[in-house]
Amino acid sequence: MRRGTYVRWGVPIAAAAVIGAAIGAGPVIAAVSGDPVLPERSAQQLLADAAAAAEKSEGMPPMSGTVQQTASLGLPALPDTGDGSPLSLLSGSHEVKLWYGDEDKMRLALPTQFNETNVIVNGDQVWYWDSDSNTATRVKLQGEHPREGLPTAAPTVMTPDQAAQRLLEQVDESTTISVSNTAEVAGRPAYQLTLTPKDPASLVQEVRLAIDGEHYVPLRVQVFAKGSAEPAFQVGFTQLTFTPPAEENFAFTPPAGAKVEEKTFGPSDARQEHAEEARRTAGDLKVRGEGWTAVAVLPADAAMPQGDTDGAPGAPGAPGGEGADARALFDNVLKTATPVSGTWGSGKMIRTKLVTVLLTDDGRLLVGAVTPEEIMKAAGVR
Amino acid sequence: MSTADTGTRTRRTPGLVPVTETLSTVERRPEEPSDRPAPLAPQAGRRAGAFWRLLVSELSLTFHRPRNLAMLAALATVPVIMGVSLRLFAGDDQVGGMIAAVAGNSLMLTFLALSALVLLMMPIAVSVVAGDALAGEAGGGTLRYLLAAPAGRTRLLAVKYLNAVVYAYAVTAVVALSALVTGLVLFPAGDVVLLSGTTVTMTDGLLRIALTVGYVGFALSAVAAVALAISAFTEVPIGAIAGTVVLIIACQVLRAIPALEAIAPYLLPTRFTGFDAVLRSPIDTGALTEGLLTFGAYIVMSLSIAWAHFTGKDVTS
Repeated sequence: MRRGTYVRWGVPIAAAAVIGAAIGAGPVIAAVSGDPVLPERSAQQLLADAAAAAEKSEGMPPMSGTVQQTASLGLPALPDTGDGSPLSLLSGSHEVKLWYGDEDKMRLALPTQFNETNVIVNGDQVWYWDSDSNTATRVKLQGEHPREGLPTAAPTVMTPDQAAQRLLEQVDESTTISVSNTAEVAGRPAYQLTLTPKDPASLVQEVRLAIDGEHYVPLRVQVFAKGSAEPAFQVGFTQLTFTPPAEENFAFTPPAGAKVEEKTFGPSDARQEHAEEARRTAGDLKVRGEGWTAVAVLPADAAMPQGDTDGAPGAPGAPGGEGADARALFDNVLKTATPVSGTWGSGKMIRTKLVTVLLTDDGRLLVGAVTPEEIMKAAGVR
Repeated sequence: MSTADTGTRTRRTPGLVPVTETLSTVERRPEEPSDRPAPLAPQAGRRAGAFWRLLVSELSLTFHRPRNLAMLAALATVPVIMGVSLRLFAGDDQVGGMIAAVAGNSLMLTFLALSALVLLMMPIAVSVVAGDALAGEAGGGTLRYLLAAPAGRTRLLAVKYLNAVVYAYAVTAVVALSALVTGLVLFPAGDVVLLSGTTVTMTDGLLRIALTVGYVGFALSAVAAVALAISAFTEVPIGAIAGTVVLIIACQVLRAIPALEAIAPYLLPTRFTGFDAVLRSPIDTGALTEGLLTFGAYIVMSLSIAWAHFTGKDVTS
């Protein structure tokens, strides 16, 4: 062909290269511009500094940003549980916007296609707004655990802060801890704590916790399963600024025409029932092993999802939805279970990247982040 | 008929052009020399003048074509039908979300109509115009006459694309206006409740509609670029049009497959409804920017491919 042809086609090829580079730019730019420089710290220093910073500023500094949660647990395709359901967090990726003023001022927004769910905390006022049902719910809290009963669209491990706290509680001799000062999360230099389980029976390769280099706020938690380069579970900021958010984020007045409801969470009757149920279940729960390789054993019928057995109230406006969701999920997952047997008996096993579940024929349910061999060993212990 | 050839910058041989086009072209012809800009700086000025004349003539062709006008009219009726049926049947309290919002405020119908039409109908209308742009001329045998003028293929491509972009914005504006008028007639006007539960003034709401029109128009411009690129490769206009539509439907199907979630952000239709970001408080500029960048990437890619092929193509018809 003519020489001009090659020159001409160079233009779209160059355009493709530029676009491709722009898509992959994040990591490339980070690599080129050099690692962010933070003074070196040991794990202990880092945690002490973080604790000191938390004490001094009485909680997190004001900030606003976007939190992304990604799970690829290797579960079979889930039935469409809807974006608002906590169960939908088990697969795929979800984004929550966070505005944090101080302890009394916080807004969480879960934007979905032409819908938005908001939790707005302003002083003693807590509002839950769901644009889909056009309902504003004034949440009243009673009892000594004001935050626990919040019907957040985001379930328990949604903010990096909470996830990090949960993680740190597990740290003990069973774990190797290392710190690097070169991580970067949401464009901010960060320290990264890496926790590696020592027990080879654990399915967890390592857990990485990124802590902001300036404000010591946890920025990201990643859980890596053995044999995969991508995190099986990840919660972290994708965008973050430490400036106080605008006041109007925390001012919520139910719009005209919206349904306004009041819900009280606290030691009410319904909640007591829940708690009792949970306590019964907990009574049946036994834990074999400890640390990373702990296996939970519980009677299968107690674990069968009938509703919110964990005591967390479902999203208001969708009563019963959670139970049905869980049921559908459970049935779906059970279809993919492989039958296994051994000296302990026989049962069905569900393997994911991070968690192994064994449902024995004699009605026990074993759950743990361990290899199949380990969980069968646990099944042998009566 | 033969006078066409004697004209200095005639761009068509009427014998080879469909009758509707001949009429408008011929009608316009006497005016053309008169509105040519007076002797400007010789080269650049004349070139720019020729470019705008070509674009104006192209636009007048596009907006005189009964087919294109019929598509605009059809699109304009959809919001009316939506509004009327919502008004008649949305009486019960079971509805929620956008439907309830529409019943509560006149401006919301615009967003609902755009979100429904942008997925398929508006892209089809735009790809009819853009897909026809080059392939139609090639198929009708008029492309070589267009190229006979020393106008250059790059300029012709630019004119054809701008023409399609103007039509894309016209489509968006027609749908938005029709929905706005229908909404104002059928539903109460006043303050607008956003998805975040915040209430803003009606002026603010209209401003957000303007933002939406800009966003959707740009989205359709990306569709136009893809259609134009396919159009450069074929001489069968219906092939280019169908190709674009099939591509859009295929993307919609790919989006629906959960296992392919990772590629969804890079597909064009994923971003079509990204304008719901303007209905949040504060406006989610991040999502809007991401969408606009995606459209921009598609436009750059498609146009450069179209250019690379079209400028080196042997025009045989």
